[in-house]
Amino acid sequence: MSNSNWIDATEEDSVPEDDVIGLQVGGRDIALYKVEGSIFATDNTCTHGHARLCDGFLDGYEIECPLHQGKFDVRNGRGTCAPVTEDVRSYPVRIEDGRVFVQMSD
Amino acid sequence: MSTSTGTFPVKVHWESEGTSRIPFMAYTDPDQHKKELERFFYTKHWNYVGLEAEIPNTGDFKRTVVGERSVIMVRDADGGVSVVENVCAHRGMQFCRERHGNKKEFVCPYHQWSYTLKGDLQGVPFRRGVKQDGKINGGMPSDFQTADNGLNKLKVATRGGVVFASFDHEIESFEDFLGPVILGYFDRLFDGRKLKILGYNRQRIPGNWKLMQENIKDPYHPGLLHTWFVTFGLWRADNKSELKMDARHRHAAMISTRGQSGKADQVTQVSSFKESMELNDPRFLDIVPEPWWGGPTAVMMTLFPSVILQQQVNSVSTRHIQPDGHGSFDFVWTHFGFEDDAEEMTQRRLRQANLFGPAGFVSADDGEVIEFSQQGFEQKPYHRTLAELGGRTAEDTDHMVTETLIRGMYQYWREVMEA
Repeated sequence: MSNSNWIDATEEDSVPEDDVIGLQVGGRDIALYKVEGSIFATDNTCTHGHARLCDGFLDGYEIECPLHQGKFDVRNGRGTCAPVTEDVRSYPVRIEDGRVFVQMSD
Repeated sequence: MSTSTGTFPVKVHWESEGTSRIPFMAYTDPDQHKKELERFFYTKHWNYVGLEAEIPNTGDFKRTVVGERSVIMVRDADGGVSVVENVCAHRGMQFCRERHGNKKEFVCPYHQWSYTLKGDLQGVPFRRGVKQDGKINGGMPSDFQTADNGLNKLKVATRGGVVFASFDHEIESFEDFLGPVILGYFDRLFDGRKLKILGYNRQRIPGNWKLMQENIKDPYHPGLLHTWFVTFGLWRADNKSELKMDARHRHAAMISTRGQSGKADQVTQVSSFKESMELNDPRFLDIVPEPWWGGPTAVMMTLFPSVILQQQVNSVSTRHIQPDGHGSFDFVWTHFGFEDDAEEMTQRRLRQANLFGPAGFVSADDGEVIEFSQQGFEQKPYHRTLAELGGRTAEDTDHMVTETLIRGMYQYWREVMEA
């Protein structure tokens, strides 16, 4: 497997359980979520009102946008309720030596 | 505290139980105007908001009014027509500023409360507060429900491509509201063919809104005020005509059929007709009969309180009455045609539309006489108008030499206003 587009994002422990953080990865605003010990990554900007998803609220596998309460499944970026009409981009994640790697293919 | 004087009575005074003498104060009193808004525009009456052809696609909207309340007519996600009040459920702002447009949803710019096209609240910013330093600040109370905080939704009726709305959800059906006679003339014009919007005129007329209804319930002024009509033989006192009302006398139709010739010997009681006068561009009067007319060459309908539906030969339009206080209203004309019109017919309708609107060869006169009537009323509020041509009662007639429709409208007005 090529490592060329896997980018070291942060320490695994810096993502709190059942919560979300926002950070820059490879020049993009990315939200990282941890649910039941697994980490997921999506773009950090809501496709509806352009708020930061890391300011929102994580319920299980769903992130709720702080502005208009649109929701996305953090595992695949799928919009799950109105007013969201467009999915948010999600990224593959892998953990290696306590570090979080996000695959940023352009 | 108001004091009655000879010039300024405390309240509207009618000389009799009849309606052939209408007090000037029916047009000049601000409190009474609010009562009219409440009883005619906000309850028990279907008000015109627009044509479906103005909003063909999902998300298309038009901002308009019911009475003095701003509303939005929109093609919703299901393909239906919704009408919502243009007041944000949060801080009350009129959030929609554009006259026409297309939106996926309505968002108030002040705090971004977001609504579906049907007016349901979708979400409010920071409902669950804002995270800061490991704690959550603010947010809406836990019992806040989006379902309780949507936009005010109006009841909607559509027929033949025309959209009416009402704040009153207990209102009778649109068909019952019109009654069978007027509904028949409505269906003659809006017979199911798709409409095509040709354009708009807008004007503000500094007079009471009822004067516009009265203007189109008065078939006796055109041959006298609109000398342009007479000069070119378009209006003749011997035109075959009928005046019809619904059972409650609130709506009316003036139905007329032009004589086939403009020869002077057929013109009676009209002194200014000049056979020698000719238009420089005769295409302006290039009138082509259409099958759907079914006889009449002009049918002018007054639907109380909000709209006039016009067919004057090939020119068809809606004229929306939008009150703005007791002494002013906006008058919005929507000129339309039909989707199956040939280009030549569209051009004909547009040319004939030059008669109408704020600078129309004919309608400019009406705006002015309404303004000057209002001025007369304001200076002499103890007095009354005289509408006794053709008698003092109100009934359908088979001629134009009468003010019966005005008397009929005020019978209804007195009944509803309890005045």
